[in-house]
Amino acid sequence: MWDWGRVRFFWAEVVQNFTRNVPMALTAIGTVAISIILLGVFLYLRTSFDSVMKTLVDQVALSIYLRDDARPGDVRALAARLAADPRVDSVRYVSKKQAIEHLRQTLRGQFNLNLLNTNPLPNTIVVHARHPADIPVLAQELGRSPAVAAVNYGQGITEKLLRAERWLSAAGLIVVGLLLVATALIMYNTIRLTVFARQREIHIMQLVGATGWTVRWPFVFEGILSGLCGALLGLTALALVYHSLAPAFVVNLPFLPFHPTSVSPLHLSLELLTIGVLVGMLSSLLSVSRYVEVA
Amino acid sequence: MIVFRDVSLVYPNGVRALSEVSLTVARGEFLFLVGSTGQGKSSLLKCITREVRPTDGEVEVDGQALSLLRPGDIPYLRRKVGVVFQDFKLLHNKTVWENVAYALQVTGARSRDVLRRVPRMLDMVGLAHKSKMFPYELSGGEQQRTAIARSLVNNPLILLCDEPTGNLDPQTSGEIMTLLARINAKGTTVIVATHNQGIVDRMRRRVVRLVNGRITHDEERGRYHVGLG
Repeated sequence: MWDWGRVRFFWAEVVQNFTRNVPMALTAIGTVAISIILLGVFLYLRTSFDSVMKTLVDQVALSIYLRDDARPGDVRALAARLAADPRVDSVRYVSKKQAIEHLRQTLRGQFNLNLLNTNPLPNTIVVHARHPADIPVLAQELGRSPAVAAVNYGQGITEKLLRAERWLSAAGLIVVGLLLVATALIMYNTIRLTVFARQREIHIMQLVGATGWTVRWPFVFEGILSGLCGALLGLTALALVYHSLAPAFVVNLPFLPFHPTSVSPLHLSLELLTIGVLVGMLSSLLSVSRYVEVA
Repeated sequence: MIVFRDVSLVYPNGVRALSEVSLTVARGEFLFLVGSTGQGKSSLLKCITREVRPTDGEVEVDGQALSLLRPGDIPYLRRKVGVVFQDFKLLHNKTVWENVAYALQVTGARSRDVLRRVPRMLDMVGLAHKSKMFPYELSGGEQQRTAIARSLVNNPLILLCDEPTGNLDPQTSGEIMTLLARINAKGTTVIVATHNQGIVDRMRRRVVRLVNGRITHDEERGRYHVGLG
């Protein structure tokens, strides 16, 4: 049967411990809040930068120029192959006529295309891949078809762009990882101090026969509470700064890789909240376990 | 009830606290452990609560060999053994009632048991009228009574007292010892480590003397100076 007296005792312990040493609790919450702000700003910038890079990379397309004398059977075979290839995201056919029309629009007034006797532009198939990194391989494979005169995807530049994207993404991940470790260490050390201040109490609990988990639980919940309050405080600060500064950034510093619409504030907030709560909980658990195991 | 068989204890820093101690304490016995500071009295008590593990030998409590205990069993051993200290070890942010109830609550007692047992215990140590006070509002003797109530509220088989009168005046010390004798009369085995000559000589109970971690004398109805010539 559920004993409300025991539940009340447990929560009273958690709340009493949390509110007893207010400066200590505020230090822990403040540390968590500052760590969450730092982490939040960086995660935000990284997600935004990633999305800018992705937009750039997604623009990479493969143009397959068909031979003018290609046999309809070969073109059909090529089209069927493209339709069946799981790496292909979309295919668009641009006829010679459409191509010259497009060029005419582009060069309007700068060059008189009527001077040409024939249309030099080939029929083209424009392919977008699901993963831009597949484009060089696709180009090589499709280039072998007898219907194909040439393929073009901005060779050289595309590879560099893809490589840059990979490196930057990895570097961002490493920095996020380091920042996470630093945040966790700072939070751990602060929360450890709050546990250290209560060594005596832990000793008394053990002497009267409390089991290891009875000793740990109030501390773990206190850690969760510190993490939660700190993360909420940090998120509030971030939200205030975001709403007052983000529009100004986008307008005044358009060259920055800053892309507010690409980041979901809800998603980021949930991530930061989870990090705050988890680090708070684990820090408390690790700190109190050290004293519990001593006895 | 408590058996020490050739127990030796060397701390990690190399200090030898106990040397080949053999001792048997029967159920319901009252025993004084005497000796000057640093002779191993507290270490012997810590072996009983498994706060330390002997380097050699075996300690048995209530028929259970402590060397065979898993870490998860230690809290259950401690519920059979109440401990009282010279510095009381009370929680200053809790009232007398809460300090006593705490020992029950952290061991998962049901709230109706807490409500039934705490007042009975406070009544026994004569503190029912001060149950709402905080430890800093009490005298030394009252704080020690609170600590005794806390150590007994779980109905332990054994009560260990480490210098229980070390911070108290002679009259209060006498009152505390009377209380311990009453507790012993109800069947609880009591071991008191002390260098308070007055109380040992007045009570004339079994006296065990420790010198350099060895038992040098063990006498029924002994006096404090047993073995000192």
